[in-house]
Amino acid sequence: MSGGANKRRHGHHDPHSHAIHKPGRRLMHKVPLNFVFTKVMGGGGRNVNASLNLTAFIDFLIVTVIFLLMSFSASGEIAVDKNITLPQAENVQEVLDAPMVSVNGNQVLVNGTPAGSTRAIEDVGRMQKVDEVFELLKRQREMWKSFNPQKPFPGVAILQVDENVSSLVVKSVFQTAAFAGYPNISFMVRKRGKPAQ
Amino acid sequence: MGGVDVGGGGNGKRQLNMEINMIPFIDLLMVTIMFLLITAVWVSFSRINANAQIPGPPNPEVEIDPKAPEKVLNLHILDNEFKLVWKQGATVVSESTSERPRLQGEFKYDELAKKIGEEWKTHGGHQDKSDKALDQAILHADNKLVFKEIIAVIDALYDVQRDMVIDNADKKVPVFNMSFSVR
Repeated sequence: MSGGANKRRHGHHDPHSHAIHKPGRRLMHKVPLNFVFTKVMGGGGRNVNASLNLTAFIDFLIVTVIFLLMSFSASGEIAVDKNITLPQAENVQEVLDAPMVSVNGNQVLVNGTPAGSTRAIEDVGRMQKVDEVFELLKRQREMWKSFNPQKPFPGVAILQVDENVSSLVVKSVFQTAAFAGYPNISFMVRKRGKPAQ
Repeated sequence: MGGVDVGGGGNGKRQLNMEINMIPFIDLLMVTIMFLLITAVWVSFSRINANAQIPGPPNPEVEIDPKAPEKVLNLHILDNEFKLVWKQGATVVSESTSERPRLQGEFKYDELAKKIGEEWKTHGGHQDKSDKALDQAILHADNKLVFKEIIAVIDALYDVQRDMVIDNADKKVPVFNMSFSVR
């Protein structure tokens, strides 16, 4: 080791002249090579290009992609009338592809086409056949039969009914659908999770 | 950045440590996430089944086999209680009641579901696993009752389930097939 370097590190000429030294760095201060000493003591210029570890980030992205792919539905979202708040239920089944009858507080729609007024049914005060609903559903049934002459008609219709619509309207539409050849009627609901046993 | 270290190198030869550019890969992942997030369906809808109990047209080729009428559960939604009446034809077989709690917020009748389960164990006609038929329930609801209450009652009705052999496997199915009473 050169004497100059030794002086620079210890800060005094004679190591035996003082028994007590000033506190300072003790680790790695006896590295013999100057350029290594400079590096380990934190001297010298720092590299301007910092390398960032992207492994954790890529892992996170891959997990997110897998989760989203698992929950992806190719069939898309089933259109629900904006004026309808569906009730919730636990014991439910998957939605089928079938004619959709929507009943909100003001009107009845068959596949989005207006087919009667809810108020008119309520005003009558008794169950009745809703003629426009009947005609539209009957037309749908005939169309289905013309496209599928060999197959038996499934007779499935789905009712989207607002949770605050009265039972009278529900029963009237239900009965009308049955008259139109749709005896298998389902009510669309929002699925509620079952409580843990 | 990602890299591949294959060792060796030196002696003025070409560097053997390769750096893979991960930027396009990250871009692809980001675009995929954005697409999936935008097209994701967050609200899932389901259906609850009902049946209008309309018999099909008579088939002249099939001989009609007269059978004794089955027991049917008539569920009446009254102001303060639910009335469960088992009828066989016009004969009342059993009658019982269950309290109707005043619900707010979440509409769910757990007590009614329990009561229906007990009643079905006593009177239900289709309890065997191999039996593909379901018992019938008829719902009697007042015209002014709101739909969410009807759904809560149907949900309680379908809460009672049994095993049924479907495609050589046991599956849980609701014990009742439900319809509305109309006058």
